[in-house]
Amino acid sequence: MTDPLLSVRDLHVQFNTDEGTVRAVDGVSFDVARGETVCVVGESGSGKTVACESITKLIPMPPGEIAGGEILFDGEDLTEASEKRLEDIRGGRIAHVFQNPQSALNPVYPVGAQIVEAIRLHRDVSKEAARDRAIDLLDRVGIPEATARIDDYPHEFSGGMKQRVVIAMALAADPDLLIADEPTTALDVTIQAQILRLLRDLQDEFGMSIVFVTHDLGVVAEIADRVVVMYSGKVMETGPVYDVFEQPSHPYTKALLGCLPGQGKSMEPIGGTLPDPKNPPAGCRFHPRCPHATTDCRTGDHPELLDVGTDHEAACVYYGPGYDASVIRGDAVSESTAADGGSEGGTPGDASKSGGDDR
Amino acid sequence: MAADTRSETAATERFEDVDWNDVGGLGFTRRTLALGVSSLAYAVAVLYDVFLTEDALISGTNWLFLLTLLAGVFFVAWPLADNRRLTAYYWRRFKKNRAAVISAIYLLVVFVLGTFGPMLIAKPELNVLAAYQPPVFLSVDSSVPTSCVGQAAEGLCHGTWKYPLGTTSDGKGIARLVVFGMRVSMQVGLITMLIVISIGTVVGTSAAYFSGLVDELLMRYVDIQQTFPTFFLFLIVTYLFKPSLFLLITIFGFLGWGGIARLVRSEALQRREESYIQAAENAGASDGWIIRRHLMPNVSNTVITAATLLIPSFILFEATFAFLGLTDPSTPSWGQVISSGRGDLDSAWWIATIPGVFLFFTVLAFNFVGDALRDALDPRSEGDA
Amino acid sequence: MSMHWYVARRVAWAVIATYLILSITFGLLAVAPGDGQTAFAFKAATQGGDVDEAQETFDEITGRDEPLLTRYKNYMVNMATLNWGWSFTRNQPVLDAIAQAYPYSLMYALPATLISIIAGYAIGLYSATHQYTLTDYFGTFTAFFGISIPNFWFGIMLILVFAVDLGWLPSYYQTGRGVWTVANAKQLILPIIVLSTGAIAGNMRYSRAEALEYVHADFVKTARAKGADDWRVLVRHIFRPALVPLMTILVADILGLLFAGAYITEVVFQIPGLGLLSYKAIIQQDTALVMATTLIPVFIAIIGNLVQDIAYTVLDPRISYGDR
Repeated sequence: MTDPLLSVRDLHVQFNTDEGTVRAVDGVSFDVARGETVCVVGESGSGKTVACESITKLIPMPPGEIAGGEILFDGEDLTEASEKRLEDIRGGRIAHVFQNPQSALNPVYPVGAQIVEAIRLHRDVSKEAARDRAIDLLDRVGIPEATARIDDYPHEFSGGMKQRVVIAMALAADPDLLIADEPTTALDVTIQAQILRLLRDLQDEFGMSIVFVTHDLGVVAEIADRVVVMYSGKVMETGPVYDVFEQPSHPYTKALLGCLPGQGKSMEPIGGTLPDPKNPPAGCRFHPRCPHATTDCRTGDHPELLDVGTDHEAACVYYGPGYDASVIRGDAVSESTAADGGSEGGTPGDASKSGGDDR
Repeated sequence: MAADTRSETAATERFEDVDWNDVGGLGFTRRTLALGVSSLAYAVAVLYDVFLTEDALISGTNWLFLLTLLAGVFFVAWPLADNRRLTAYYWRRFKKNRAAVISAIYLLVVFVLGTFGPMLIAKPELNVLAAYQPPVFLSVDSSVPTSCVGQAAEGLCHGTWKYPLGTTSDGKGIARLVVFGMRVSMQVGLITMLIVISIGTVVGTSAAYFSGLVDELLMRYVDIQQTFPTFFLFLIVTYLFKPSLFLLITIFGFLGWGGIARLVRSEALQRREESYIQAAENAGASDGWIIRRHLMPNVSNTVITAATLLIPSFILFEATFAFLGLTDPSTPSWGQVISSGRGDLDSAWWIATIPGVFLFFTVLAFNFVGDALRDALDPRSEGDA
Repeated sequence: MSMHWYVARRVAWAVIATYLILSITFGLLAVAPGDGQTAFAFKAATQGGDVDEAQETFDEITGRDEPLLTRYKNYMVNMATLNWGWSFTRNQPVLDAIAQAYPYSLMYALPATLISIIAGYAIGLYSATHQYTLTDYFGTFTAFFGISIPNFWFGIMLILVFAVDLGWLPSYYQTGRGVWTVANAKQLILPIIVLSTGAIAGNMRYSRAEALEYVHADFVKTARAKGADDWRVLVRHIFRPALVPLMTILVADILGLLFAGAYITEVVFQIPGLGLLSYKAIIQQDTALVMATTLIPVFIAIIGNLVQDIAYTVLDPRISYGDR
C-alpha cells in the first residue's frame, strides 16, 4: 500500500469536562487508501464517531481537544491546518454524512438551497449553474422528479429521501473522501440496503474513498474493504474485511461476531459494559470483559497492535512472545460463555443493538 | 398508615416484596387525614372571622397567606419529607449551583422575618423628630435631620442602633419598614403563585384531558387573557376601585395563570403519548390513577419551576405599583419607601437605596433559585445541566 | 388551508379580541363606584356649587342616566369612531393629548428597543456559541442582573450617581430642548439605559437558550462539514432558525417590558410621554384620559400578537395553517 489518502497516526482526542478528562480517542491509527472503503466498527461510546469527526475538527472545541498524533490527508497534517484551510477541506475534499437524516438538514431552507450552498462554498459558479448541478446530484442519488422537488423543504421528504439529499449535498464538491457516520442506523432495513447500494455505486462513479462508521457488522460485511475495530478509544484489530471476519484475532472482535445472528452458532451477548472513559482500566481496555485475560492483561499499558497476518493486526498480548495465540484463534466461543458467568457480574448488554449517539 | 411504612420501606425493600396495596392503597394516608383536618379547621376559622366577628381579625390577604403556607406544608414539605431519597437527589443537583444555595438561604431568612417579624415588632410610627436619621455607622450633615437621635459631632449627625438602617422623611425606621416590606413581597409572590398554579393546573389538565370543545374554549380564553397586558388592566382596575394588596394579588393571580395553563396542557398532551403512560394503560390502570401517578408527577416539576420564575415578576409588579402610589398607602411596602425617598436623593440617599437593595436581592434570589430548580427538578435534563 | 385564509382568520380573531376587551372595560366602568364623579363633585363643591346638582350634571355629561344598553352602544360607537372623549384636566380632546405626548415616548423607547434587540441578540448568540467561556458566564450574570433589577429603582440609583453625585447628566427631563440637540440626547441617556437593561437581559436569555438548541444541532454540524465558516454558520444556520421562536419573545418583550417599563421610566424621569400622561390622569381622576392611555397599549398588544403570528408563518416553513 503506497501513499494512503488518509493516514491517522496515534490520534489522541480528549474532552475536558467538569467531572474530569474524557479520553475519547486514545492513540488511534489507521490508513485509508484511495478508492477504498474502511469501516470503523465499535459499540456506542467506543470513540469511533469522535475519531472521525476529529479528522476535520468538527468536534466542539472546547471542550474537545486534539491532544496528540497527526492526521495526514494527502500528505498534509490536518491537526496543524488553519481554520481557513480546514473550511476549504470540509465539504471540498472531505465530506460528511451523519447518522440522523431527520435533523441533518436545516429545516428553514429548501433542500436545493442547502445543496447550492455546499456547491458554491467550494466552486466559483453562478447560482444557476449550481442549481443545475444540484438537480443533477439529486437525480443521481435517486430523488424522483428532482427538478420539481428541489425547492421543497426538508420536512416534505421521508427519512430515506432526506439521507439521499444529505448524500447529494456531501457529493456537491466532488470530495476525495466521504466520512459516513452510521448513515443507515436511523433508517428502515429496506431503506438501509438501498442507501448502502447507492453509496457503493457512487463510490464507483466518483472514485472516492469512504470511511464508514457503524456498529452493525452486517453492514460491514456488505460494504467494507478493510475494518478497524475500536473499543474504549483504542483500536483492537484492523485488517481486510475478509480476514477479520474469517479469522477474528482479538477476543473483542470474536465477541462482537458472536453477537451477530446467522453465524451458525447461538448468539452470545458480551458480558459487562464499556469501561468508564474518564477512568479506563489499566492494561488492556477489554480485560474486565475478556474470558482470556491474564495478569499481564491487567497491568501496564494497553497492548500494542501486533501483526497477525498480511496487513492484519490485533492488540492482544496473546500474539506476543510467551503466549499461545491458538487460545484466541481456536474456537473459543463456548469457552467465553463459561467464563462469562463468573466474571465481573455487570449487566449483560447486546452490544450490536445499542444505538444512539457516540458521545 | 400507608405513608409512613412507605417511606421506611421504599429504600430497602425489593421490588417483588412491595405491597402494592400499601403503596397506593385507597385508605386514607396520614397526609390526607392531616390535610382534611387542617382544611376543615381553616374553613371554620375563615367563616368565623367573616361572619361572626365585627372587624375581621385577620385581613383577607393574611388568610390567603395562611392558606398558601398550609398548601406549602402539605404539597411540598410533606411529600419531600416522605420521599427522602428523591429529596436527597434533588438536593444533590440543586446544590451544584452555589449562587442558588446562597439565594435560598437569603430567601428563607426573608421569609421567616417577613412572616413572623411583623407579629413581634411594632408597625413603624410617624415621628417627625426622628426624621432623616442616617443608618448606623454612617453620618450625614447635621442640617439634614430635624434633630439628631444619635451622636452629633463636628456638624455631622451619626446613625444610631435605634434606627439601624436610618429613618424616612417622616421618621419611620427603615429597618422595620424593610421587615414589613418582606411580608408584603412574600405574600404577593407566594399567594399569587398558589393561585396561578392551582388555576393553571386545573385548566391545563382539563383542556388536555377532555380535549375537543372544552380544550378549544379554554385555550381561546387563555389567548385573550394572555393578550391583555396585566399591567394596564391593573392600572384600570386600581383607578376604578379602591386599591389594596388583596385586589393586587387576586388580579395577578386570576389573570396570570395563562402561561402555566398552556405549559401544563402541552406537557400533559406530550406525556400522554409517552410509552410509560401506555404501559400503565396496558397494565390496566384507570384514568384517575394515570393522571395522579404518572401525569401529575411529571408535569408538576415543570409547573413548580415555571411558577417559581413567575414569583419575581409578581414582586416587581407590586413594588412598581407601590412606587407609583397605586396601592394601599397603609401597607408598608418596599416600593412605597423607595418612592418616598425620591425627593431626598441629594440629602438622604439611604431612604430610596436600602429598600431597593432588598427588593433587588429578593428578586435576584428568586431568579437564581428558579433557574437552579429547573436544572434540578426537570426529569428530562438528566446528567449534566 | 391557504395562508390567506389563515391571515384572514387571524385578523378576525384580533377584531373579536378587541371587541371583548372594550366590552370588559365598559363593564368595569359601569360597575365601578368612583369613576371620576368624586373628582367632579369635589370640583363643584370647591367652586361653591351643590354636590347633588353636580352629581346630576355629571351623569348627564357622561350619559349615566341613560339605560345601560344605550350607553354600551354609544360607548362602542365612540370607541370605533375614535371619539375618545374630552380630558377635563388638560382641556383638550383625549386624542390631542395623546398626539402631543407620544413623540416624547418614541424619543427614548425607539432607541431603547433597537439597542435591546441588537445588543440582546448579539450577546445571546455570542454566549451560546462560546458556551462555558468566561464571556458566557459574564453574560449570564449580566442577564440575571438585568431581569432582577427593579427599573424604577435602577433609574433612581442612576440619578443618584450620575445626576446628584457626579452631576454629569440632568436628573429629570425638561421639554423645550429641541429633538436633535446634545442637551436632549444627554437627558435621554439615563431613560434609555433604564428601559433597555431589562429588555437586553430578556432578549439575551431567550436568544441564548434558543441558539443553544441549535448550536449542537445536527444540521449545524452538517453546515460546518460543508465548509461554511463560523460567521456563515452563525447567521444562516443558527440565527435564522432561532429567529422563528425569537419572534414570539420579541413582541411580548416590546409590549410587556417596554410599555410597562416606559410607564415607570417616564414617571421617574418626568418625561411627558404617554406613560406620564396616563399616570397624571390617574392621579387627577381624568377618566377619559385614563381609559385612552391604558387601552392604547392593549390594542397595540393585540396588533403585535397578530403581526407576530403572521410573521411566524412566513418565517417557519414547517408551520401548518390548520388548527390554530
